[in-house]
Amino acid sequence: MNAKQIHLDVAACSDKGRVRPINEDSYRISLDRNLFVLSDGLGGAAKGEVASAMAVEAVVNSLRGNGAAGCAEKPASCSEFSDETNFLVHAIELANRHIHEHGMRDPGCRGMGSTIVAARICGSRLSLAHVGDSRAYLFRADTLQQLTSDHSLVAEQVRRGLMNHQQAAASELQSVLTRALGTEDSVSVDADEIELFPGDSLLLCSDGLTRMVPESEIAGIMAEAPAVRIAAERLVERANEHGGQDNITVVVIRLSNNKFRSWVAKFVPWYGANLV
Amino acid sequence: MPLLIVKFEGSVLQKVAINGGPITIGRGPDNSIAIDNLAISNHHAEIKSEQGRLVVEDLNSLNGTFVNNQRVKRSALKHGDVVLIGKHSIEIDELARSESPVNPHRPSGGGKATPRVDETFILDTEKRRQMMQEIAASGERSQIAPARVRVATLVRVKGQIDKAEYQLTGKLTVIGKSEMATIRLRGWFKPKMAAQINRRDDGYYLGRGDKVPTINGSPLGAPTLLSDGDLIEVCGVQLRFSIKE
Repeated sequence: MNAKQIHLDVAACSDKGRVRPINEDSYRISLDRNLFVLSDGLGGAAKGEVASAMAVEAVVNSLRGNGAAGCAEKPASCSEFSDETNFLVHAIELANRHIHEHGMRDPGCRGMGSTIVAARICGSRLSLAHVGDSRAYLFRADTLQQLTSDHSLVAEQVRRGLMNHQQAAASELQSVLTRALGTEDSVSVDADEIELFPGDSLLLCSDGLTRMVPESEIAGIMAEAPAVRIAAERLVERANEHGGQDNITVVVIRLSNNKFRSWVAKFVPWYGANLV
Repeated sequence: MPLLIVKFEGSVLQKVAINGGPITIGRGPDNSIAIDNLAISNHHAEIKSEQGRLVVEDLNSLNGTFVNNQRVKRSALKHGDVVLIGKHSIEIDELARSESPVNPHRPSGGGKATPRVDETFILDTEKRRQMMQEIAASGERSQIAPARVRVATLVRVKGQIDKAEYQLTGKLTVIGKSEMATIRLRGWFKPKMAAQINRRDDGYYLGRGDKVPTINGSPLGAPTLLSDGDLIEVCGVQLRFSIKE
């Protein structure tokens, strides 16, 4: 597959759910950079919605321009990953500092924080970075695979073999995070890189989806929805049908496997430019 | 007036205000909070106010009463504590302002003034360190090495592929003709992605791609957890899965 002619269909949907008074989730899609960012503001603490909006804004802004050129400082190169991935990690570290400093200055925002999951597609390579329990999933050949590992207390217990997935799903401590953006002056960001195939779909989501809708149902919706817009709306609807206990935000990205369409988009930029 | 918020699997079933007498919890209909579930004893526990503070007491129940995942006979409660009885949880909300009686089947919005336990929050550094140490310690007690490192390999049994052995170091492994595939198939008319092997917390799962692989001779249905020694076949290629602790 030629790296340049990849074609993406993208849709997003966000809803405050059926219980919370406001929506503290934020997301940003930047189609010219194939950049997708989603953030879930921490409740309880002050101004979750401010923190999540600042988080997505800060990440998109640091990657403005050519991705690399927009960054004020070049990140410490981590040989394991490509530059694009390192820039994404660095952008999140900057966002963390930004939110943290804002929280220190403004008493109304003291201690505010959020999660973040950011994805960028360059050619066939997906760069992923995240903090907290917002997730990225890959939907490939009818199989849903979680790409991120939650930074939460129960996820940590599952990884250490102290709990199984059923116990984790029933746990009362699901919402306790071990890492978040903005709550401390520095943060450790997890990154990953994978090669994408034509026909793959990606799902970024806040825990308002994954705590309400079992993965088997998410996979079913991803498989059946004829278009990304419908998939995104159905995922949010299903979370609400299951109780909508939290804000729900999803970003669905599908790599076209239609060779003709990719070929046309190569010559007619507007054809592939904006299908949101 | 403190509120008890009774929940089952994340949804609020009931909210009970404490004003004076003890609140009893159990399977019997004579309890203040009656829960019809076999995991709960007839008279399981009670929550009462003693000298201005809330106390939970287990009434010699069969399956026990837990406060913040610790089994207790008797324990003082504070705002935000979670009492677990069977699979039902009771959250203590001491900051609730006196409200009109709550409709038990309609959860009310979590307003800013009353932080709720089901809202996402992060532990402060000290508390987090302490809880992580507890997790690590309990891992050692239960004889499970923390963060197990297991290396899986695929060994060629037969077929046209580029190597004799592959270490599955990544989260995603693709068997196919694509140049991005980990295990590259050779030959005409082979699919770009014939099958996939995904690493999850509990092991490696074989899933289909453009083809349906067989595992030990039977066609694969849903993604399947691979065990040491499993034989995978797809597009005329046979691979033996092996995993060592």
